[in-house]
Amino acid sequence: MPKLTIDGRSVEVPKGTTIIQAARQLGTDVPHYCWHPGLSIAGNCRICLVEVEGMPTLQIACNTQCSDNMVVRTASDKAKRGRADVMELLLINHPLDCPICDQAGECKLQEYSFRIGNDRSRFDFPKVHKPKHVKFSDKVMFDAERCILCTRCVRFMDEIAKSDELDISNRGDRNEISVKRGGELESPYQMNIIDVCPVGALTSQDFRFKSRVWFLESTHTVCSGCSRGCNVTAGARWNKMLRLIPRENAAVNKWWMCDEGRLTYTDVAAADRLGAPMVRKDGRLVEVSWDEALAAAAKGLAAAGDDLFALISARLTNEEIWLASKLCDALGTPHRDTKPRAFGKDDLLRTGDGNPNSAGARILGVAPGKGGAGLANFASQNLAGAALFGEDLDDRPEAIAALQKLAFVLVVDSRESETMRKAAHVVLPGLTAYEKDGSFTNVTGRVQRIAPCVRSPGDAWPDWKILGWLVAGNDRGARPKTCAEVFARMAAAVPEFSGMTHGMLGTAGLDVRSAAPAQGSV
Amino acid sequence: MSAVEFPRLLKGAPPIGKRQTLAEYEANGGYQALKKGLAQTPDEITKMVLDTGLRGRGGAGFPAGRKWTFVPKNTGKPVYLAVNGDESEPGCFKDRQIIERVPHLLVEGAILACRAIGANTAYVYIRGEYPIGIRCMEEAVDEARAAGYLGDNVMGSGWKCDVWIHSGAGAYICGEETGMLSSIEGGRGYPRIKPPFPAVEGLWRSPTIINNVETIANVPLIVRDGVADWKSSGDADTPGTRLVGVSGHVNRPCHIEIDPAKTTLREIIFDHAGGIWKGRHLKAVIPGGSSVPVLPNKPEALDVPFTYGAVKNAGSLAGAAGVIVMDETTCMVDALLNLMEFYHHESCGQCTPCREGTGWLEKLVHRIWAGQGRMEDVDLLDRVADTVGGAGAGKTICFLADSAVMPTKSFIKHFRADFEAAVRGGGSPVYLARKARIDRKHASHAVGAAH
Ligand SMILES: Cc1cc2nc3c(=O)[nH]c(=O)nc-3n(C[C@H](O)[C@H](O)[C@H](O)COP(=O)(O)O)c2cc1C
Ligand code: SF4
Ligand code: SF4
Ligand code: SF4
Ligand code: FES
Repeated sequence: MPKLTIDGRSVEVPKGTTIIQAARQLGTDVPHYCWHPGLSIAGNCRICLVEVEGMPTLQIACNTQCSDNMVVRTASDKAKRGRADVMELLLINHPLDCPICDQAGECKLQEYSFRIGNDRSRFDFPKVHKPKHVKFSDKVMFDAERCILCTRCVRFMDEIAKSDELDISNRGDRNEISVKRGGELESPYQMNIIDVCPVGALTSQDFRFKSRVWFLESTHTVCSGCSRGCNVTAGARWNKMLRLIPRENAAVNKWWMCDEGRLTYTDVAAADRLGAPMVRKDGRLVEVSWDEALAAAAKGLAAAGDDLFALISARLTNEEIWLASKLCDALGTPHRDTKPRAFGKDDLLRTGDGNPNSAGARILGVAPGKGGAGLANFASQNLAGAALFGEDLDDRPEAIAALQKLAFVLVVDSRESETMRKAAHVVLPGLTAYEKDGSFTNVTGRVQRIAPCVRSPGDAWPDWKILGWLVAGNDRGARPKTCAEVFARMAAAVPEFSGMTHGMLGTAGLDVRSAAPAQGSV
Repeated sequence: MSAVEFPRLLKGAPPIGKRQTLAEYEANGGYQALKKGLAQTPDEITKMVLDTGLRGRGGAGFPAGRKWTFVPKNTGKPVYLAVNGDESEPGCFKDRQIIERVPHLLVEGAILACRAIGANTAYVYIRGEYPIGIRCMEEAVDEARAAGYLGDNVMGSGWKCDVWIHSGAGAYICGEETGMLSSIEGGRGYPRIKPPFPAVEGLWRSPTIINNVETIANVPLIVRDGVADWKSSGDADTPGTRLVGVSGHVNRPCHIEIDPAKTTLREIIFDHAGGIWKGRHLKAVIPGGSSVPVLPNKPEALDVPFTYGAVKNAGSLAGAAGVIVMDETTCMVDALLNLMEFYHHESCGQCTPCREGTGWLEKLVHRIWAGQGRMEDVDLLDRVADTVGGAGAGKTICFLADSAVMPTKSFIKHFRADFEAAVRGGGSPVYLARKARIDRKHASHAVGAAH
């Protein structure tokens, strides 16, 4: 374990650690463009120059390995001058179109120019011009003039997406990133190149020109696209979600997410969102107060009792699934099931399971009980009622027909559906995963917090509140006030979550406790 | 000491335009070294090369034997030899003599070097602009394979070795050793960061030794004649002979094989190349190919032996021995513009300083050349050059950036007057002459139009 000094502070690091990594360990950010912790080392931007005692020249921190007794100066005059020189060169042909660039505000050129650059340039020639609006695909736009040729995007495609669709063409200051053979990008992970691009060369067709990033309200949450549960930061403005970007979590998604997941936020602003509770009167669903709708739901559920079929979505949170299960327990029904949801599958992130909380549903026992019916056979069981929590059956017309024959059908969902219009007696409007508190358990058993990124539309309630009220019935005191409270109650009852709290999940999550809870765990 | 017989590398070489056949080579003692080498252990061959002190002829002059010892043992990976015949440096055409005229010498050297470093495969990378050279090498390899010098059972020894010829596609940067590796692998000619060094991780991430054509061509001579005989020319600093190319304003542009310790730069220019053409005087000389500092016409620069050390002391580098001679009429601004156009055009564009800086240098020189320069531009040029690189500056992945800076700084240092004259006089003489020609043409057109 080499022990070295960086800016007068000593640090011990494993063999093979580079100076830039060791500095990060000390909380020192050595400026870098081409280096990315998740990609191979390219060493081309040269902005990470530092002084190493005994070396005649400045060294690049990203590719210089630490050795014993090394003395590194990241902020000496020599190092600063070296970096300022590189900064000047990086900008001589840069268009400086920050006023119209989406990256402004989160651009490393701006950041380092401000931090380490000179306030003027000695360059007084016309700049090199290159194409500015190159469509890489329906998802990604490229501006060759803004590109600093760090090759992060190329390396991402080669090394992570395993799809070598990008390349560099031409030579020298005429170099340009290009899609091979002039085609368009196809990888289902291509939008990550927008994130790894340290400048505004790669922008999202989806987010382009929608908002200056400093106006965005950021929320740390989890993607609801599939059971991987990639950690994300959501950006919203004027109560409208505008983007999801991946958030680093070494145990889950590293630095990446898939494109389909990235675009899941668009569900939030769907035109068919439900904004008010409804009850069927004279064959038509009419908007009513929450009191009336909840009372009608409670009455219908009680009447169906142990003849109720409960379809509990694995897109709901742990808290919600736990409450839904408690409700079924109280009614005594063994007829419970989830609905599978297909999704892309590969070796990188996508799991093939489009339900973000399948593991939670499994832990919480959502499956037909003894003698119970499931999604496949509930229609033939002569049941008295059904409750659909966060699901519809629009893809199964025969199931809707079966629902229509039941005496009572409750639908709790965030969007309108054919199922609801044709079969529901009571409709309670819930929320999408980007509007509420809660937690998901991902495919590897990681319990992760989700958080509201925007306010709910109309008078919709978070599903945990709806379920909490249904479970509490007339006992007003038992109605949960926060989702954290529901989680705490669940954690006390379910060994897999024992000892956990929302606070403890933090932004990185925790692995479920093994079946036999660790003794004396706190 | 008995007089050394010259030439050595090119002994028995047919005239330019003809290739030495296998039969001719064998008649000249060809492949005897291989026979000897096969009876030796690989370490014995390496030791001989190490003992001669043979220095790389590609430019940097790194001791070849030392480089060979960097190959890690027992990695379980194959070892490769990559022979650098890209020869794209302006002013250099010495490797061409070997490739086109005595290709078997290179083939035999490659086989022996493979044997020494534990490789079974050598790639010879030849610049795409040498189609004749590529053909000569391919023919030589075919002949050697048919004669059993290459293949699965080299000269019945049971040892396997093969040589492949790889054609470049016209980029200077593919002569940089790691750029060449990327190119051989089928990728863009992008030099690679070190570490890892190619001797540890080169071609296909396996240990690879890279040597210049002339370096490898010396190996059969060493093995055949022994260390002492090979060292009978040159001195401790630069043992052996050197192939030198002389071009520019001389009466007889030529390539020669010299004893570097006994031949001065002045002799190369005035004796071997017949002196300055058109009865003019020498103004400047670049001794080692376009990348090294220029030297002025001064005794302390010219009357030095052509060894690495002596040329370095004189303020330049022997480099790849491409001697470029400029006569008194040469405008140094014009000459530097030519070089800057080259380096700007050839920068691979990976590293910020080189990608952006070579363009900036060219623009500055061009502005002075075209009469738009200001007096401050001369100093600015010098300072921007420092921003980009310099001898041993280490600001970039490879030395191309430094190769652009060394001429720039030395041109200003020795010939500042030319730059200042161009600023003062509205442009370089070449520019002014060109402008006058164009103006005359316009004037005559204008007259024609009036009629
Ligand atoms: C830009 C650039 C171009 C080069 N071109 C050549 C070349 O054409 N031929 C060559 O042998 N070496 C060339 N070199 C030097 C090689 O990188 C390398 O040092 C050499 O091939 C090693 O062989 P040696 O040790 O036998 O000299 C070049 C270096 C640079 C930086
Ligand atoms: S597009 Fe962005 S990530 Fe790709 S090379 Fe250019 S600056 Fe780097
Ligand atoms: S892999 Fe899954 S969790 Fe990750 S971004 Fe895609 S959909 Fe979301
Ligand atoms: S110094 Fe120039 S030629 Fe060499 S790798 Fe860097 S950009 Fe390419
Ligand atoms: S971050 Fe080190 S060279 Fe780019």
